[in-house]
Amino acid sequence: METYKIKNIAGHLSKGFLANPLTPILAFAILLLGYISLEIMPREEDPQIAVSGGSIIVAIPGATPQEINNVIIKPLERRIREIKGVDNIYGTAMNNFGMVNVQYLIGEDRESSNLKLYDKVMQNMDKLPEGTMPPLVKPFDIDIDIPILTVAFYKNRKDDLDNIKLYKKIRELQQDINALDNVSKTILKGVKRPQFNVLVDLQKLSAYHISLGQVAKSIKSIASNSPEIDTSTSTGTITIFGIKNAIDDVDDLQDLIIAQYYGSPIYLKNIAKVEYNYDIQNFQSVLLTYKEKNASNFIDAGDQITLTVSKLKGTNAVLIAEAAIKELQKNRDALHEQGVGYIVTRNYGERANEAVNELVHHLIITILIIAFILIPFLGWRESLVVTIAVPMILAATLFIALMTDQTINRITLFAFLLSLGLIVDDAIIVIENIHRRMHLPESKGLKFSEIIIQATDEIGPSTNIATIAIMLTMIPMAFVGGMMGQFMKPIPLNVPVALAISLFVAYVFAPYLARKLIKYEEEKP
Amino acid sequence: MEKLVYKIISSSFNKWLVTIIVILSMAAAVMMLPSKMVLARMLPGKSANTFTIYVDTVTNASIKETQTVTSCIVNYLKNEKEITDMEVYLGQGAPLDYAGLVKGSALKRLKNQAEIVINLTDKHERDEASFMMVHRIRPKLNKACGELQPNTSIRFTEMPSGPPTLATIVIELYGNSDALLRKTSKKVAKVLAQTEGLVDIDIMQDDLYTKYNLVPDKEKIILSGLGVDQVNQIIYLAFKGMPIAVKNTRNQQDQIPIFLRLDDETRSIAFNSKDALLTKLSSLKLMNNRGMMVSLSEIITIEATNSSPTIFRKNLKNMVTITAECDMVSQVYPLLEARDKMLEILSSDYNISKVDGINTYMFDLNLIDKDTNETLLLRWDGEMKVSLDTFRDLGGAFIAALVLMFLLMVVYYKSFALSGIVLIGSFLSIIGVIAGHWVTDKIQLYFTETNFFLTATSLIGFISLMGISARSSLLLIDFAKSLISEKKIEKNRAIAIATATRAKPIMLTAVAIILGSLLLATDPIFGGLGVALIFGSMAATLVSLFFIPVLMSNARAMMPDDYIHPKINEVVKEGVWCKLTDNFKGFFSYFSYDKDRDDS
Repeated sequence: METYKIKNIAGHLSKGFLANPLTPILAFAILLLGYISLEIMPREEDPQIAVSGGSIIVAIPGATPQEINNVIIKPLERRIREIKGVDNIYGTAMNNFGMVNVQYLIGEDRESSNLKLYDKVMQNMDKLPEGTMPPLVKPFDIDIDIPILTVAFYKNRKDDLDNIKLYKKIRELQQDINALDNVSKTILKGVKRPQFNVLVDLQKLSAYHISLGQVAKSIKSIASNSPEIDTSTSTGTITIFGIKNAIDDVDDLQDLIIAQYYGSPIYLKNIAKVEYNYDIQNFQSVLLTYKEKNASNFIDAGDQITLTVSKLKGTNAVLIAEAAIKELQKNRDALHEQGVGYIVTRNYGERANEAVNELVHHLIITILIIAFILIPFLGWRESLVVTIAVPMILAATLFIALMTDQTINRITLFAFLLSLGLIVDDAIIVIENIHRRMHLPESKGLKFSEIIIQATDEIGPSTNIATIAIMLTMIPMAFVGGMMGQFMKPIPLNVPVALAISLFVAYVFAPYLARKLIKYEEEKP
Repeated sequence: MEKLVYKIISSSFNKWLVTIIVILSMAAAVMMLPSKMVLARMLPGKSANTFTIYVDTVTNASIKETQTVTSCIVNYLKNEKEITDMEVYLGQGAPLDYAGLVKGSALKRLKNQAEIVINLTDKHERDEASFMMVHRIRPKLNKACGELQPNTSIRFTEMPSGPPTLATIVIELYGNSDALLRKTSKKVAKVLAQTEGLVDIDIMQDDLYTKYNLVPDKEKIILSGLGVDQVNQIIYLAFKGMPIAVKNTRNQQDQIPIFLRLDDETRSIAFNSKDALLTKLSSLKLMNNRGMMVSLSEIITIEATNSSPTIFRKNLKNMVTITAECDMVSQVYPLLEARDKMLEILSSDYNISKVDGINTYMFDLNLIDKDTNETLLLRWDGEMKVSLDTFRDLGGAFIAALVLMFLLMVVYYKSFALSGIVLIGSFLSIIGVIAGHWVTDKIQLYFTETNFFLTATSLIGFISLMGISARSSLLLIDFAKSLISEKKIEKNRAIAIATATRAKPIMLTAVAIILGSLLLATDPIFGGLGVALIFGSMAATLVSLFFIPVLMSNARAMMPDDYIHPKINEVVKEGVWCKLTDNFKGFFSYFSYDKDRDDS
């Protein structure tokens, strides 16, 4: 029989790699890279959605909503309209202040959007009406704004710990956690800050003929600070002196003389309750109700402080959450001694890890199911070839995903699950054709490697075109707009890549593995 | 296999029969959508380990009043075994999550707002899905705690399974007159409340209440040696209080503010009325520039007015937003029902016209008030808008995929007919996709009493299916062509041989896809994709094994370029009726076989 002429790239590839000693090394390298990628790629539960936007807050004390609407909101909205890429503008006019929320089209670059917004506000500073306070521009930042970890700290012994002490303890801890790698922002919610409260009794005030203004003035005068003064001496040196005018604790405030009444001084404590306490004007608070492990009754823990931890963009939520929890556990006993207990109320790191691990398990199970179902049709050796090909394709796809700065999330793994059904096809078709050719009468007298090359080559054109067709069907999905498009993006990003790799693997490694694994009795011509 | 296929394609009656079966099942499948046998929805619910309850009380509520509602909720939920902890955020939003990001959780800072985060035990160790739990608790909780304070709204927020929206159903009412907006929004909300399946209805606007204006008598103020700014400041300081200074020693590291206010006892007013306020103000005295005390009540008068509610605007127009959530149902059908009801109920007060044209705002209504002739625009937003946008984009992606595939085939085969065959073959997998959803819906309803919806992921599955079934058709056509041109086998025989030989890999790949998608089908979000792939590839296999050969045998492009057909200008007329009896047995067995498989 004359030599077979290879017609397709499939044949060339399989011929080139069939007896090449580098092929298994390449295979191991790909598998290793895939495994490393799986371990080091940042994990998240949901993919990042690039939402850009921000709020502009402008306050005019004493203005009514109608006034705010006319002098702030309407002109500001018109200015914002001048920015390209703005999707929606939401205006809110309330008593005393107005707010304009700007929402950019999904997918607009966040940095430049924020800049444009800030720029627009700054350009129009001169047009702000009288009595306006400087406007605040607050851009959204999903990475920083959405915490991956929240921890509730509560007082587990009611007696000796007040809200202020709790706050001070947690604030020290906040500092430590903020110092961890890749932690971007930590916030305390439900915080009661220390404050001197001077609560004036109206009755006493009028009894002593003192006005509230006098009280305020007296406190202000003693609480003022001045920098230290230096003056030169006649010998050419300097003398430094400062004015001590200090309030150190509650007693200093209590003994403040407000006025004289029939010759005797009236102290602040005479007309007001002066205390070192928390900010009573702050009505925001956070309460906790929890259940001990395996207990059935809930405990009302009362006021708590919630510590929230956010991560930097593109970093691994799993690792950061773990590190933060380790830091907390280190402090657990110390906190407990001081009467502070804590529970983790949100852990996205753990959730992301769970979701990813669950899906990786699903992937493995699915590969095994497919392998088993192929055994009765193709034989176990052929089935083994397909089973080895699949992890290689996934490994290479993962590595490319890592290189292109993607994260592992639910959608990426669903893209893999979806592509699983598609990528086994190429290998199955090649192996099936080798299998079929082996038993054809025409193949008698051919070397096994020749059969493999011919079988691969024969199937090449239609497999190429079919795989390209599937890739083409996936690509338009990348142009789906809106949040949904962003959310689904890993599918059009990864499935075509996996398919392209599956072709390569089917032509390069499947024939190689077939030659090594499948037994074929070559007949002597 | 070979015999069966040959039998089909060698008789034009059988060809017609197969074609008719295919067309009928296609029509039946497509009809399942408008007939609501298969329900559409963007994304289904997902069981999570947490959910959040948003509480809004009446606009002028105190933090204490809000707390009565949250305490009631927390106490009620203490009966739930699966809850591990609850965090009540009073006067603020909970730590931000994806849902809170678009629901304005970060902007909450009023006394009438609160959020409660409910954490549950791990979803793997719990029988009840979180959305089922919410479904069960919602009516009871609203009954127990919704009436404690006037105008309380208790809303449940679950973790969104996809991109979050403000609410499942959002109605934006645009208009210029605030009074008309307020009036209409109440009516619209009422219609929503009457619609089955809609819950947590909320109008995003401030309630009206009475407030008091202190009117300073300027003449008296000046005559008594005071200033208006002084009066303002003292009143604010007395009742609201402010930090007037900061502790100033260097011994302590913190800046501790000194806060001045009247004490709680003397600050509080007996009850909410004009006279009580005046009595209180009369005891507050100011010192004038001559050192004399002047009572506040002498220099001001009090008048009661209406509160000035917050004005909400979107895209430069005044707007009121009405939101509603869907209770375990798709948003599409309650929306259409509510819209029909609105057309009916609101027509007594408004002239209603529908918005023309087909776009993603196609459900919008124009309202013209019959009394004042003012116009309002009622716009549907929320998940429906996102769904329509997504389905539109995915539909566009689908058409683009079709065109790209067709062009690729034309390049490959240099024949429109063969490319058309491949395309038709791929498109027909939709039969399996829709029928599969119907079957899964029935199965799931039987076990869990929740519907299985046709979702955006089903569409993605369908799009990728097209490629898969194109591959089967391609393999068939290629193989048959090479048989005809290289081995000189008669056309129909060649097609039959090709089909029989290729049946194994085609079925194998289909089996691989079906098994590969089994675990996908159990996922709440990607279930649609899994079901689409499983049933779609079943249908695609049947189509490529039985219908594609029929199409191939009719396509002249199957023959090689140099082949001259003996009856090139004659349509091949096979005797239809005489062949009928010959094949009676054959096609009947095939008929029932095909039908069973198609529906499964």
